[in-house]
Amino acid sequence: MTNVTNAMPLTLERMRADIAKALDESPEIVTDDENLIDLGLDSMRVLVLTTQWAETGIPLQFSDLAAHVTLAGWWQVVQRLQAGSAAPK
Amino acid sequence: MSEVSTGADSGSAGSVQARPLTEAQAGIWYAQRLAPENPAYNTAHILWIDGELDVAAFVTAADRAAGEAPALSLRIRDEEGGPQQWGDADYRPAIEVVDLAGEADPAASARAQMRADYLSPVDPGRDRLAQQRLFVLGPQRFAWYLRVHHLVTDGYGMALFSERVCALYGAADAGSPLGPLAPVFDEDTAYRASDKRVRDAAYWREHLAGVPAASGLGPGFAPPAAEALRLVRPLDASLRERLLATAARLGQPWPDLVTALTADYCRRHAGVAEAVLGVPAMGRLGSASASVPAMVMNVLPLRVAQSAAPVEEFVRSVGGAMTRARRHGRYRSEQLRRDLGLVGAQRRLYGPLINVQPFYQPLLLRGVTLRTEILSTGPVDDVTLGFRGDAKTLLDLEIEANPSLYTPAQLEAHGARLPAFLHAALAACDAGRSLDEVPLATPAETEHFLYAVNDTAHAVPDTTLVALYEAQMAATPDAPALEFEGEVLSYAQLEQRSRALALQLRAQGVGRESVVAVALPRSLELVIALLAVQRAGGAYLPLDLAHPDARLARILDSAQPDCVLAFDEAAARFPGREVLTPAQWSPASQATLIADVRPQDAAYVIYTSGSTGEPKGVLIEHRAIVNRLEWMRTHYAIGAGDRILQKTPATFDVSVWEFFLPYLCGATLVVAPPDAHRDPRAIAQLIRQRNITTLHFVPSMLSAFLAAPDGQGLSVQRVFVSGEELGAELRDRFHATVRGELHNLYGPTEAAVDVSYWPAGPDDRSRPVPIGFPVWNTRLYVLDGRMRPLPPGVVGDLYLGGVQLARGYLGRADLTAERFLDDPFVPGARIYRSGDVARWREDGAVEFLGRSDHQIKLRGLRIELGEIEAAVRSAPGVARAEVMLRDERLVAYLQAEGGSGVDEQALRNHVAARVPDYMVPSAFVALADWPLTANGKLDRGALPAPAVHTGESAPRTPTERELAALYAQVLELDVPIGAEADFFGLGGDSLSAVRLLMEIQKRWRCDPGLGALFATPTVTALAALIDAQPAQADHGLAPLIRLAPEVSGPAPLFAVHPAGGIAWNYRDLARALSPARTVYGLQSPALDLAEPLPESIDILAADYADRIASVHPAGPVHLVGWSVGGIIAQAMAVELEGRGREVGVLALLDAYPAECWRAEPEPTPVAALRALLAIAGYDPEAHPELDTRERVIAFLRRGDSALGNLPEPVLDGVVRAVTGTNRLVRGHHHVACEATVLHLRAGRDHATRPHLQSALWAPYAAKVEAVELPFLHAEMTGRDAVARIAPLLSQQMSRHDGLSGENT
Repeated sequence: MTNVTNAMPLTLERMRADIAKALDESPEIVTDDENLIDLGLDSMRVLVLTTQWAETGIPLQFSDLAAHVTLAGWWQVVQRLQAGSAAPK
Repeated sequence: MSEVSTGADSGSAGSVQARPLTEAQAGIWYAQRLAPENPAYNTAHILWIDGELDVAAFVTAADRAAGEAPALSLRIRDEEGGPQQWGDADYRPAIEVVDLAGEADPAASARAQMRADYLSPVDPGRDRLAQQRLFVLGPQRFAWYLRVHHLVTDGYGMALFSERVCALYGAADAGSPLGPLAPVFDEDTAYRASDKRVRDAAYWREHLAGVPAASGLGPGFAPPAAEALRLVRPLDASLRERLLATAARLGQPWPDLVTALTADYCRRHAGVAEAVLGVPAMGRLGSASASVPAMVMNVLPLRVAQSAAPVEEFVRSVGGAMTRARRHGRYRSEQLRRDLGLVGAQRRLYGPLINVQPFYQPLLLRGVTLRTEILSTGPVDDVTLGFRGDAKTLLDLEIEANPSLYTPAQLEAHGARLPAFLHAALAACDAGRSLDEVPLATPAETEHFLYAVNDTAHAVPDTTLVALYEAQMAATPDAPALEFEGEVLSYAQLEQRSRALALQLRAQGVGRESVVAVALPRSLELVIALLAVQRAGGAYLPLDLAHPDARLARILDSAQPDCVLAFDEAAARFPGREVLTPAQWSPASQATLIADVRPQDAAYVIYTSGSTGEPKGVLIEHRAIVNRLEWMRTHYAIGAGDRILQKTPATFDVSVWEFFLPYLCGATLVVAPPDAHRDPRAIAQLIRQRNITTLHFVPSMLSAFLAAPDGQGLSVQRVFVSGEELGAELRDRFHATVRGELHNLYGPTEAAVDVSYWPAGPDDRSRPVPIGFPVWNTRLYVLDGRMRPLPPGVVGDLYLGGVQLARGYLGRADLTAERFLDDPFVPGARIYRSGDVARWREDGAVEFLGRSDHQIKLRGLRIELGEIEAAVRSAPGVARAEVMLRDERLVAYLQAEGGSGVDEQALRNHVAARVPDYMVPSAFVALADWPLTANGKLDRGALPAPAVHTGESAPRTPTERELAALYAQVLELDVPIGAEADFFGLGGDSLSAVRLLMEIQKRWRCDPGLGALFATPTVTALAALIDAQPAQADHGLAPLIRLAPEVSGPAPLFAVHPAGGIAWNYRDLARALSPARTVYGLQSPALDLAEPLPESIDILAADYADRIASVHPAGPVHLVGWSVGGIIAQAMAVELEGRGREVGVLALLDAYPAECWRAEPEPTPVAALRALLAIAGYDPEAHPELDTRERVIAFLRRGDSALGNLPEPVLDGVVRAVTGTNRLVRGHHHVACEATVLHLRAGRDHATRPHLQSALWAPYAAKVEAVELPFLHAEMTGRDAVARIAPLLSQQMSRHDGLSGENT
């Protein structure tokens, strides 16, 4: 976990890899529509992922991710936030 | 109740229809209903705002957010079928702006208003559940206050709401609104009916099988207080960075890492192998409540066991458990408690809560700076260790604690200790080590509790006891040194006699390192012997003659004394040993004795119970005991004016300071009569009459002493207690009863009597009462299993170090090496493993908590169960034996060889011949098999309670029935007691026996005595004994009462009442006569208010002679009378002789002829009342404060004398008897009788009336035989006087019976 990595924009594949690492599984297991809770993800892991991903510069919060726990759902949230934060402040 | 819209501007929030509470809410609802006055369910926080705040915009944002959060507008009402909730727009917490800018201290005013608000109880069926206020504190300073009842939201919901207000503040696009509430409720409804809930229940049932009891960081349970103690400590960056780095390396979420380490921190504080912690779960993931303020959170139990594995492995295992728990985390913990049957406030599922809140981010509000302050997060049962923040920018350690269980100082300590522990644990993790290797105490605590608290260095002369007391003997030769039963030895006399014996011992070869056994009861000779042995250069070895021969023989074989000092009658118990009896001691010598004793020489050897069955001889050197005594002399300023009571048996090392302390300062040692140490009345008398300033009690004896009326109002300089735990209740009872200092001391025989002290004064509120601080040159360590010092509040093993340690166990280098170890903290020094468990208080005092090993204390007596087990095993036919202390009784479990039965009585006799009586088990339970634990150890918890032999047949007579009920009451048994039940077989012991006798006395006004109870302990036999006592239906005030069972043969004795008219006071005398003899008491007719007062002593005497004739119409009779009773007895002798009856012995107990009193003023009614005290057995002179009728009667009622239980009219009768009889005395004129007067004079009384002499009776008797006894007038029928009078009277009566026998 370095600043260089975090400064790069969040991608779907990085999210998949981070989730897999949190689950101690290989990324192939984390398909787009799999329920991540069923895969073993729990609230503390989601919180840590939230913090990691927020460091890429998006105002991501736990509550944004908590309702619908699939990678596809999360990617939508992230894309929306990336679009919002790309706009000049 | 209608459906209510939550408002037009509520956006997606919708409306809330009436519906039942969720499971999560229901738990809080009922808890609040159980404690309606407790405001702890109010959660509250403040946002301090500095800068240019647009108040109008903020109000808009806050109100809009409130509209989006319908939970805050909920109302709840009890309905048939359970509580219902619905939304009510009128209850929406619209923000209230409060302008305090004009106040002197706006922030303080705001704070006071907030405090008043959140500390006010809320009635959820009536009051608003949420409130928000904006306090204007100045142009650039504001405080936003939010208070919400826990019923409607949890901490996560509070954070969501706050963030939403901040987002809405002055924003065009404020992002997503808060989520709707109804789906949250629907989710709960669906879960309740789901298979998932069934599976979750099954998971928890399996996971929690065999779950240990919950315990906090410290002991105790208490209901949550209105306001918890709070402490916030930001964790430093280095700890946060290490936490994140280690978590990343392990691939564990950092919150789980910190939870796991904190869990072990909690487990260690509880001192248990496995702890159950509570881990709050917010329950938002994958839930409709993800963005909804609502009460959803749950607390999941987390089991954490001690681990020797590397930290990494431990963390993974705990992390895995938490992940699994979260998967089943919707199942309510309230329900889990019900599933496990943990009902009631004291039976919790988990101890401390570990609450990591990483979602808690610093709030941001455009243009201003913010600081959040949490005021309340809900009730705290025990303690919550919280971590709030993302760890990257901030992590606050937030400790909340129940103020009934924790002090602010303890919170401060955890605030430093926990971060230090986390640092060290993370370091251990990174180094691949285990958590066991991480110390619990911080380096500062380690330093403090090893060295600062033990900074006891004090210069003490390096000398011997002998040198010290020889110097004192030379300094104050004429001062009184020793008193025993009226005899006094001066220091010079004590020097002379101990020197003479010392020279004699020297001549027999006693010198340095010799051991001389001393088997003497309390006496002058005992003290002389102890001094002489030491002055000769040797060490004394005290022996208790009450111990069985086999035990004495084992001790003598081990110690190999040069000789035994014992009285003649005990000499036969030491076959093959040289015994020197006091008769053989040289009484004086002119020869000088050159002391040849060094500080390192042995001063005494005391044997204690040994676990292997062999008693262990603890050898104490002079240097050690000199330190102990010099400390005590100085610390308590004990000096020449002190009079120290010696009542502890010499075999118990407390006696050592009693014996020698007086001789280090010129004080006087007052030796109590043998056996007086068990008799509260005798002790109280000694204190009062011998002006004792300093004495010792074992707490259980102190308790018995305070329970007896004799100690009431006693004043004594200082009382020391040691030998067992001093309860706080006992301390308080002491100060309510006795005026004097109370000091709690602690120490084993192995460290020269005591190593710590605590002033247990009247203002001491400590619970438990500490054993206190180390004495001079002494160290106390509380260490964990790896010999590391523990911080305060944590239970560990107590080790002792310093100059007072024993040299070791005599002749047992092996045992010495086991218990005396190298001091790991002071090079070259030793420590003693006490076997006690203890903990430090913050102030450096130690609290004693019990034993860690197989040793127990029963009423102050140190007992190794192993010694009893060895005795049981040595009985024929016993294959294995285990002894346990159960409900304060010793119970022996045994297995017979070949499964045959055992004869319990034979076994009891066998054991009683080998161990002291207090070590004989009260029950022997034969087992066919031993219950085992899973790992094959004896499962002590599964051993059966001893069968209670309650007897088979029901009690028959009314006395038996009442007595059976008394047995059950005294022994706290809940079973019917049969006629054959044996008091001791039921678990009675000597202490409960005394209680039983008190009850019997209350009920039947007779005291069969302890001896009788031991001899006839069954209900039937004791009832028969009680029935044989005189019938005393009407309060024992009949004119004629029987004081001892009827015996045919010897002539009866009639005892005449003293002034009070009652003759109960002769009871002890009546029962002490040998041979036994029929004894009647004559009581005054004046006791019955319906009877007229007799007109003269002569008329009274005639009346009494009639009564004698009614029960004993012919043959000689003996008479005894005390005080006024003597005057009447002489008149009766005249009357009886006039009727031709033969009067044998006419014994007058300190009575003087009537004319002595004629000139005296008549007693006032109060004086008459005070005479009651003497009748009840108290010394009236000792109670000058009892100067009114009310006080005298109140005093008597407080005590347990039978007199105190008399109804009011009867007391009136007693008062009338006193005044009436005294008037009759003044009008009486004696006539001579033919009998011989045996006059027993109270020699210690009559200082102001020296003319009161036995010879005054000469004109009125054939002859006067005078005997003077060392008692006060009031004591003449008391126990001690009876011990002297009964043999004399018995002998005289027997001689007379013999003579009359020859005559007939």
